[in-house]
Amino acid sequence: MILEAKDLNYYYQDGEQRRYILKDTSISFEKGKFYTILGQSGSGKTTLLSLLSALDSPHSGEILFNDEDIKKIGYEKYRRNNIGIIFQSYNLIPTFTAVENVLVPMTITENEIPSDKETVAYNLLDYIGIVKNKADRLVNKLSGGEQQRVAIARALATNVELILADEPTGNLDEEMEQEIIDIFKRLAHEHGKCVIVVTHSNEIAVQSDQAFRLKKGVLSSYE
Amino acid sequence: MNFMKRGILGITRKKGKSLILLAVIFILGNLISGAISIQQATGNVEKTIKERLGTAATVDLDHDTLNNMPEDEWMDFEPEELGVNLIKQIGDLPYVKYYDYSMEQWMGSESIEPYQGEEMDEDFMMDEEDEIPFQLKGINYAPIIDLEEGKATLTDGRVFTDEEIENGTAVAVISENLAAENNLEVGDTFTLVNNVYSYDYDTDEEDIVASRDVVLEVIGLFDPKSVTQESDEDSESNMMFMMEDPYYQNTMYVPNEIVIDETNYNWEETLKADDELAAMMKEEGEDASFEYYEPIYYLNNPEDIEPFREEVLPLLPELYTVISATDQYERISGPMESMSKLAKYVLIVAVAATILITGLVVLLFLRDRKRELGIYLSLGEKRSKVIGQILIEVMVVAVVGITLSLFSGNLLAGQVSDTIMNSDDSNQSEYYEGVYYPELESELTTEDVMDSYEVNLDASYVLGFYGIGLLTILISTVIPLIYIVRLNPKKILM
Repeated sequence: MILEAKDLNYYYQDGEQRRYILKDTSISFEKGKFYTILGQSGSGKTTLLSLLSALDSPHSGEILFNDEDIKKIGYEKYRRNNIGIIFQSYNLIPTFTAVENVLVPMTITENEIPSDKETVAYNLLDYIGIVKNKADRLVNKLSGGEQQRVAIARALATNVELILADEPTGNLDEEMEQEIIDIFKRLAHEHGKCVIVVTHSNEIAVQSDQAFRLKKGVLSSYE
Repeated sequence: MNFMKRGILGITRKKGKSLILLAVIFILGNLISGAISIQQATGNVEKTIKERLGTAATVDLDHDTLNNMPEDEWMDFEPEELGVNLIKQIGDLPYVKYYDYSMEQWMGSESIEPYQGEEMDEDFMMDEEDEIPFQLKGINYAPIIDLEEGKATLTDGRVFTDEEIENGTAVAVISENLAAENNLEVGDTFTLVNNVYSYDYDTDEEDIVASRDVVLEVIGLFDPKSVTQESDEDSESNMMFMMEDPYYQNTMYVPNEIVIDETNYNWEETLKADDELAAMMKEEGEDASFEYYEPIYYLNNPEDIEPFREEVLPLLPELYTVISATDQYERISGPMESMSKLAKYVLIVAVAATILITGLVVLLFLRDRKRELGIYLSLGEKRSKVIGQILIEVMVVAVVGITLSLFSGNLLAGQVSDTIMNSDDSNQSEYYEGVYYPELESELTTEDVMDSYEVNLDASYVLGFYGIGLLTILISTVIPLIYIVRLNPKKILM
């Protein structure tokens, strides 16, 4: 088990009342698999991803990465060394080129990265489908699909085993969506990564190795 | 792509914003730089002038306070005497290079003539009918402080020995000109007359009631000319000094004991001749012995004046104060003082404005880059490094802005201070209404102060400006950086 969430509770305090977004949610993930968490808007799926990616902390419950509580690892350190995050709106640095965006996490992580980081970054972008002349462009000069590929390359840059993605195809057309899903499958099945995608799309859910449905804070298996 | 490289890229890739920040820092930097230039220049003037004014200090009644006392209080006030022990105690302080205390007495002579001066305007000639033209200046410091301080040079003979000072031996060091006037040489003796006068208030006449001769041996000759040669021939101050010169030429250095004996003799005889005064003295329990010393201290450095003053003031009797040669600086430094004050206020306002304006500009830029900062944090970057990146961006621009304003502000300061000094020139008064201490006075004037003012681009200015400028920018950046500490990447990115 690479990642395991146990009895997660997350709520908003509304006066005297607690409004639960996640209630006693438990879930576990293995390496080499492509997971989807399916849910409608407001179902709590983004909250769950923010907890799994340590961008937020649960009110109760624990999240274990390789059996170690991420709180003990340290949220910042966990994000730096153990996970790669992909956002719906790409969240790239607009004043940097594609390759510079990929280089950013390489200098932040404490993981071992080959000394020729620039070559590694170009290779990663090439693997994801961004050729060199595009890699040297400012990211806001690239298309949405290309920007999301750069975001995926950035998530892979620190050589992590766990990739978390929040609606990664939400802003893309169908053709581009399928290309991105294919990349995730390749990462899971060919490179042994654990890929967790939060989505509202059934088309993506059916392509995953295992899908979960989140409804009103309660998690269930997707049939 | 570490945080430092990101900082540099942040500057080069956002040229517009970097230029705005540069312009703000440059404009405000000019104000700070100008103010520091003026402060440095006025500070240098103060240092130079105070060095020229010397390190002399004395202890005397605080005449300013006395003058402001109510009349009845002033009438009842009986000042305590300083006393030799206190004078010596002060003289033993580590700031004091050497010191002396002296009594003075004026005497006449039937055997020698006073020196009248050469090629002098009649207006400045001494009164030929002056019956007591010779000033006996008592000495306790055998090598004679005036010679040590270069006010005069010993041209022949020697100074006193400690034994002569202690025993009150009848020896004197007189001016070379006075000796020449009277064909005196080292080893010769001459006679002064200590006349005791009684004054008749009704007839407005003076009578000699007693008299005795004081025979002194010349042991050394001094030449005060070196002092006049140093001063500017054409200046008004030189005229003032020439007026004083005959008095100094007719001054004789003698051991204090000689002056004390002659003063006491004079008092005793005065009381014998004036029954009324004697009765009053008796009633008040005072005898005829009279010792009043004027101490003079020379300190090691002009900077020692303030600590010396701080240590001495608690030792002094009521209403006594420390008067130093550097006090004269305050009287002659009018335009400099007003410019220094103006520069100080400009500096405070400029620093405050820089902190406020640069802080706001940085905060606006940070808000604009909220998403970028959130990305770094989501990738696990330490907040300290994100803060470091922003600091590098601002500080690199600041160094460029400050370097540019280093030169332009200095240039501006030169122009502004010229204008201020010229406009302030007419307001200066040359008159001083306080007590005059000849030992502490110099011939320096406001004009000398103005002449020594110069706005320079020296190392202390450069270092001072970089120090204050960069510290100001640092403070103005640190405050908005609290914004980064409070950033929540989830809220920004998801």
